[in-house]
Amino acid sequence: MFAFDGSPVPIRDDLRDAHVAIWRHFARPGQVLDANERRTILKMARNNSYADDDGLGRLASTLYGNPAGVSEDMVRSAIAASGEAAVVETVALASMLAAVDYTHRALGASLEPLPEPLHGEPSGNIATGLKKRRTRVSMPTTSITRALDLLPSENAAYAAACGPLYMTFAEMSSPFFERSSGLNRAQLETIAARTSLLNECFY
Amino acid sequence: MLRESALAYDYNIDLRAIADPSIHLGVPGGNTLLQFIDAMTGASSVSPSDARRAVVDELGPEALVDAAAVFGNFAMMNRIAEGTGIPLAKQAEIREQDLIATLGLDRLKKH
Repeated sequence: MFAFDGSPVPIRDDLRDAHVAIWRHFARPGQVLDANERRTILKMARNNSYADDDGLGRLASTLYGNPAGVSEDMVRSAIAASGEAAVVETVALASMLAAVDYTHRALGASLEPLPEPLHGEPSGNIATGLKKRRTRVSMPTTSITRALDLLPSENAAYAAACGPLYMTFAEMSSPFFERSSGLNRAQLETIAARTSLLNECFY
Repeated sequence: MLRESALAYDYNIDLRAIADPSIHLGVPGGNTLLQFIDAMTGASSVSPSDARRAVVDELGPEALVDAAAVFGNFAMMNRIAEGTGIPLAKQAEIREQDLIATLGLDRLKKH
């Protein structure tokens, strides 16, 4: 698993481990969705295929393939049909899948087959007391680091991935961050800025 | 973030290069990294394999891994921001007015 076949360069162990951790997270039952439903969401995202009346499928597919195409109405109607927690879980799945797949594509590596779903019931672990803050879903603050906090285990999986992929939330406060070999902070931010601009993301 | 980190490294950068990669950015290897991202997103005619080779030749093999990983990370973060509807903070919008104008970002303000 995660051999990065096709990459012209060797891959750091911590990056490979981060991708494996995301895949294991995908395979487990979620908070609202069971593991089969999570796999269906991931397949729809990757294959851009969903039924016309499937709000979560439409959201996952659009978010994965054309994030700027996600509209307020799209999110609102998915929440009306499936609930806010299912929408946050869908956003988490499609976004973390994009992290893994886009890294592979950038390296010229073959995409990893989706993981086989494990048995079990959704945990129902949904945070309470959060509210919308000019946002589409409830969260404790409008920080990108807390955006998935309605589902603590999704936010934890996302936060864990950020370190090896980019830098940890704590490291983000240092303008001098750099890996022992590789790119320095200004070079990392060059990629971040251009990628966000091409994704038409103000953030 | 780019502006602050460039200041920390004492790079004299031209942020217009983020919107127009034909402009010299002023970060070591910066325009090669911009070309790499453009090749990955289809925004340039450079082939992905040529863009990868250019990063390795100029910055080394570890840099290509870092570049691909950050590209993947922002594929994730941008989607989380879009899906959850993270707004641009009013204070940041006021503070970064010049940058927003320089990069033509007004069109991206949706929330």
